[in-house]
Amino acid sequence: MKKTHIATLKKERFDDFISALARLQKVVAPVARGNGQFAFEPVVSGNEIALDYIPTILPPKKYFLPQHETLATFDTTKGQQMEPVVAYEKMVIFGVHTCDLAGIQSLNMIFSERPKDVNYLIRKSAITIIGYECNDYCDEYASCRLVHNHTPNGGYDLFFTNLGDKFIIHINTQAGDDIIESAGLFEPAQAADLKALEQLRSDKRKLFANEVPVVHENIPEVFAKSFNSKVWEDLGKKCLACGNCTNVCPTCYCFDVIDEPNLDLKTGKRYRRWDSCQSETFAQVAGGESFREERGARQRHRFYRKFKYPMNKFSRLFCTGCGRCSRTCMAKINLKETLTQLVKEQAMTDLKAGNQ
Amino acid sequence: MAKPKVAFFDFACCEGCQLQVANMGELLFDVLGAIDVVEFREVMSEKGPDKIDVAIVEGSITTPHAVEKIKKIRERASVLIAYGSCATIGGVNGMKNNFKLDDIRKEVYGKDAKYFETIETMSVPQVVKVDYLVNGCPVYLPEFVKVLKAALAGLPYQVPDYSVCVECKLNENVCMYQKGVTCLGPVTKAGCNSWCINNGNICYGCRGMVSNPNEKGAKDVLEKYNIPMDLIVNKMNMYNKCREIDQREQKKR
Repeated sequence: MKKTHIATLKKERFDDFISALARLQKVVAPVARGNGQFAFEPVVSGNEIALDYIPTILPPKKYFLPQHETLATFDTTKGQQMEPVVAYEKMVIFGVHTCDLAGIQSLNMIFSERPKDVNYLIRKSAITIIGYECNDYCDEYASCRLVHNHTPNGGYDLFFTNLGDKFIIHINTQAGDDIIESAGLFEPAQAADLKALEQLRSDKRKLFANEVPVVHENIPEVFAKSFNSKVWEDLGKKCLACGNCTNVCPTCYCFDVIDEPNLDLKTGKRYRRWDSCQSETFAQVAGGESFREERGARQRHRFYRKFKYPMNKFSRLFCTGCGRCSRTCMAKINLKETLTQLVKEQAMTDLKAGNQ
Repeated sequence: MAKPKVAFFDFACCEGCQLQVANMGELLFDVLGAIDVVEFREVMSEKGPDKIDVAIVEGSITTPHAVEKIKKIRERASVLIAYGSCATIGGVNGMKNNFKLDDIRKEVYGKDAKYFETIETMSVPQVVKVDYLVNGCPVYLPEFVKVLKAALAGLPYQVPDYSVCVECKLNENVCMYQKGVTCLGPVTKAGCNSWCINNGNICYGCRGMVSNPNEKGAKDVLEKYNIPMDLIVNKMNMYNKCREIDQREQKKR
C-alpha cells in the first residue's frame, strides 16, 4: 500500500462527511432496526448509521439485483414489440463489511458471464462502494476466517478501518479518490496511523481462528465425497423450506421471470423477482415433476452451490462467511455445524477405508 | 369486443372482501374499464343475466340452501373465482366445525332453531369446481387484480406455494420470532406480500397452509421457541379448520 493511497478522517468529522456526501447523491448505510437487527437504508447524516453492526437482514445485493425488477414492457397492438427497461440510481453504499464485499465480487462474476446481464452491470456502474472493516467477530454465526474474508480482498472504492479516534481509509479507485478530494475533510495518513493499522491486522490474525476443522483448500474435496451423506437427510427433516437462507445469502442470485399484462390485456411488463431453490416449486417442470422434491436434496443443492459448483466454474467459494443463513434459520440449520459434520463424517470414512 | 360480464356473489362472510373492491380507489376506474359489473349486491340493485363470464364468490358454504345456490352460480358462470378466506379455505366460519351442529343452531337461533337447517362449514372449492383462488382475509388487492387479469386473459394463476417468510424476507422485516412473537408465516402460503407483518402485525394464516408443510420440523421449531402446540393449533384453526374436510376425504381414497 502506497502512502498516497491512504487517508484518515477524524471521528468528529464523520457526520459532516456523510451529510456532505448525501447532499450530492443517495447514500445507503447500515441502520439499526431494533431487536438486534440491521438493514441497509438511505441515510442523510452519519448519526443515523450503525457502525457497530452485525450483518444486515438482507445483504447489499438488493441494490445490485433488486427483489423485484422490471426488465421490459410489451405492447401487443404493435406486433411483438418489447422495450427493455433498466431502472438505476447513482448511489454510495457505505459500511460494507468484507464478507459482503466478497458477495458483491461473486455476483459480479456471475452477471458478467455471457450473456452479460445488462441490467445488473448498468446498475453496478452507478454504485460506489465504501467498505468497513470488522475489528472483531460480529457474532458466533460468522465463518469469515474459514473463507479468508475477515480481512479486505478488494472490491471497494474506499475502505474504512476504525482506529479509535479516527478512521484510516484505503483509496482504491478514482471514484473513491474523487469522494476524498471533494469532501475536503480528510487528512494524509501519518506513519503512526499506518503502524496502528498494521497492529490491528496483526491482532485480528489472533482473534479470528478457523471456525470449521478444515482448511479452505480442502473444502471442495469434502463436498466431492459427501453427495450421499446422511447429513442432507437430517437437514431435510429440520428444514421448513421457508427460503430464508437463500434470500439472505449475499451470493444467491436465482430469479424467476414473469410476464404480466396490464388490465387492457394488450400492454404489460416483464419482471424478475428473487427465487429460491428451497421452495417447493423451484425445480418443478411441466407435468408436475420436481427434480428436487425432498427438502434434504434442496438443502444439499444450496450447500453445493456455495462450496462445490462455483469452485469448479470460477475457482471461488461462494460462501462469504457472513453467517446470515444460520442466523436467520428458524429450524437452526447451522452452516458451521453442517460443515463440521461433513468433515467429521469424511474423516471417519477415510479412517475405515484405511483400516481395511 | 364486449366487455366480460362479471358478477359478485356472497355466502357466509362479512362481505369485507367485496368492500375492498368498492374501496379500491383510482385503480377501480381501470378495473371498471376492463369489465362490465352486472351484479354486485353491495354496490348496485340490478341482477345479472342467466349467463355470466366471471363469477366472483365470497363466503363459505354453511347451509343446504347455499349448496344449491353455489351450484346454480357455477352453472351460470364460465369462470368462477373463489374470493377471500371464507370462500377459498373456509376461513373463520370453519370454527363452527369445532361444535355439534345442533348445539350451534340452538345457540344462534334459540327456539326457532328447527327452521334453520345447517351443515358443516365448507370452502367453495369443497363444493364446486373453482377456476381461480384469491386467498386472504381480506383479499390483497394487488393479487386480486393479478388474478382478474389472468382470468380475463385466460391465463393460469398459481397461488404461491411457498411460505409468507419468502415475501417477508424480501421486504426485510425483522422476524417476529426474533421479537419473541408467534407468527404463522412459516407455514402459510405467500401472495399477500407479507402485508400484516409489514404493518407490525403477525401472520394469522388466513391464506391457508402451504401444500407440503414440514409438520415434524415445525413442531421442533415450536419446541425450540417454547411455544405450546395447542396454542399454535388454536391459531391455525382460526382460519384453517376446513382443511380437516380435505384430510378426511384423502383418507377415504
